[in-house]
Amino acid sequence: MDLTFSAKEEEFRADLRGWLADNIPAEWSRPGFWAGVPEDEGFEMRRDWEQRKFDAGFAGIDWPTEYGGRGGTPGMKAIYDEETASARAPSTVNALGLAFLAPTIMAIGTDEQKREIIRPLLRSEVIWCQGFSEPDAGSDLASLRTAGVADGPEIVVNGQKVWTTNASHGDRIFTLVRTEPGSQRHRGLSMLLIDMHQEGVEVRPLRQMSGATEFGEVFFTNARVPATECLGGLGNGWATAMLLLSFERGASGILQYTSFRRSYDEIVRAARALGRDRDPVLRQELGRRMVELECLRYHAMDVLTKVEQGVDLGSESSMTKLQWSETYQDLFETFDDLLGSDVAIDAPLADLDVTALQAEGFWSRSVTIWGGSSQVQRNIVAERVLGLPR
Amino acid sequence: MFFALTDEQRALGDTVRDFLADRFGLTAVRAVFEDAAGDGHPPELWKAVGEQGWLAVCVPESFDGLGLGILDAQVVARALGAGVAPGPWLPTVLAAEAVRLAGSDAQRAELLPRLASGELVATVALRGAGRGYDADGVAVTASVPAGESAPSAGTGAEAGVEAGAEVGLLTGTASPVEYLTVAGLVVVAATEPGRVAATSASAGAGAGSDGGSDVGLYLVDPGAPGVTVTRLTSYDGTTRLATLALDGVRARRLPGSSTAVLDDLLRRGAVLTAADLAGIAREALTRTVRYDQERIQFGRAVGSFQALKHQLADLHVAVTMAEHAVMYAAYAIDAELPDLLLAVAVAKAKASQAARDATSTMIQFHGGIGYT
Repeated sequence: MDLTFSAKEEEFRADLRGWLADNIPAEWSRPGFWAGVPEDEGFEMRRDWEQRKFDAGFAGIDWPTEYGGRGGTPGMKAIYDEETASARAPSTVNALGLAFLAPTIMAIGTDEQKREIIRPLLRSEVIWCQGFSEPDAGSDLASLRTAGVADGPEIVVNGQKVWTTNASHGDRIFTLVRTEPGSQRHRGLSMLLIDMHQEGVEVRPLRQMSGATEFGEVFFTNARVPATECLGGLGNGWATAMLLLSFERGASGILQYTSFRRSYDEIVRAARALGRDRDPVLRQELGRRMVELECLRYHAMDVLTKVEQGVDLGSESSMTKLQWSETYQDLFETFDDLLGSDVAIDAPLADLDVTALQAEGFWSRSVTIWGGSSQVQRNIVAERVLGLPR
Repeated sequence: MFFALTDEQRALGDTVRDFLADRFGLTAVRAVFEDAAGDGHPPELWKAVGEQGWLAVCVPESFDGLGLGILDAQVVARALGAGVAPGPWLPTVLAAEAVRLAGSDAQRAELLPRLASGELVATVALRGAGRGYDADGVAVTASVPAGESAPSAGTGAEAGVEAGAEVGLLTGTASPVEYLTVAGLVVVAATEPGRVAATSASAGAGAGSDGGSDVGLYLVDPGAPGVTVTRLTSYDGTTRLATLALDGVRARRLPGSSTAVLDDLLRRGAVLTAADLAGIAREALTRTVRYDQERIQFGRAVGSFQALKHQLADLHVAVTMAEHAVMYAAYAIDAELPDLLLAVAVAKAKASQAARDATSTMIQFHGGIGYT
């Protein structure tokens, strides 16, 4: 066992920490700050933040320098996740592009795609959406129906995607489309990189239970995309999608731990302020949540070790997702128990501003659904890790 | 970052597992379990445990040990747990830890090599029946023998008594004590009401006691006058229990002992117990998965039903987290990490829950076979 980072990595931590301290406005840390900013304005503030981070050399930490990255180690990426979360830096506006599309393009993209797409993505000049889910293709992605038909050098796309993150702010969307008419399931699909600023693409925001509209529906009506704007080759869409989703496996959970731990501490603060910190039942509940949070932290070290050693985590990443998402949701059930019926009041309680925690409580319901629902993750663990029959 | 076992540590675990599979499988365990009249201490198993060095893990090399840490010991504990191996490995290791942490040089030289080899079976008696695992749980009291003053520095050397050796008269009970009937040495925790006034040195050791008297650790010979050992019947035939009653028993004190050392010892015990539980949990899960892959009902393997799959998947996550937590806590003790108190609590809580969930699921998912 050696739980330390290298001297170079710790030097990076010190640089980053100093830069974050100098560049994050104090008001961003105030509970409820982001909830009080109109959604579009908040998005632009966060986009601007991404660009400043890029210009300071703190973007694409473990990406090669040729793509504008820092060329750092997996340890530096973990440090980055930890430090940005503890400094309350806002979450990225280009999460799906950064986590999924960029590494896929680095792996199998054409030279032109590498040149044209990655750098503007990293600087959040181009916001990327992911067009996978459809009304009748959620967990069962292979049943998707959005169709693309060749028309000369272009493909004409018709269909609908749904639960699309950042749909309202998206510039382009990597979309899984059935490009061979009549094909079934995993065959005949292509990953098309579609411009959302064209007549045939219509976005309708979806209101979530928290009131926010981070998700949307995307309708394609004779939308056009050059056949060259296809990632991984026409007809290879399923393999491309699986490769793309595999990049989630490098995520250790340290980002989640750091951010959830902050929420945990705020819930404990709320319990004290409400005079509930001596309640033995609540204390037991908070104790259980702490056990799961700490296990997530240890697990993140395990994952980071494997990533550093080049071990393919494979289906084990489903375990990471289950641990963090279920822990997070349980934490906010404890928060509900703390506030009791007052949880419904959408305003500060006396001197206590818990509105940000309340919003998180709603958000926590989503994390066991997106990115592969807990039920799908359990199937994966049972079948591919434990070897139970299908 | 290297959050993992080394090749040597993995090999140690494999050695224990392979040995148990070859030489002390479940049939042998069951024979011990069902031999209610026996002492639960099969000599052929103990001989191997000693010869293989599994008792010597935490003993310094200068005392014929391997000089490793709790991280290495938890590897052994996990494998012994997975094999539900009977015998006094854990209590002997903890007794040796007490001697290592708080014994005089002479006590270490006398006892550690014999404990490391298995020649001397030992156990620990740290709490009264039904009481907690801390200084408040101690139900034995030590007093200074009449006519002998509690030694302070420089005055302990009297005729026939080595320098620094201290003696107490112990009265009270400790229960349950593991493998007391086969132990040749018992490390007993005792409160020392007279000592607070007599010496201020040990009380200032930053102990976790709440202003009460400090706790000392004593070496008790179970054959000494005033010792009564009463066997307890237990559902778990792989861990034999007894009550230790002491009535004015003369015992040597471990001179470095204090409440802080007791707390340290209890933490080591908690982590090794958590490792045992994590080993049990993993084995229970593995056996259940294997059975449910093969058991056919309704024309298909019952393991293909999601009602079972999802619960087994959740168990896999829980058991894996318990394994991580045990590893972290063991390392936290070895490296004296600042969060070691939290780490030990997390490991014990998580492993206990995982073991209960895994074993109860094992019973349920084996159906009628699980209960009979």
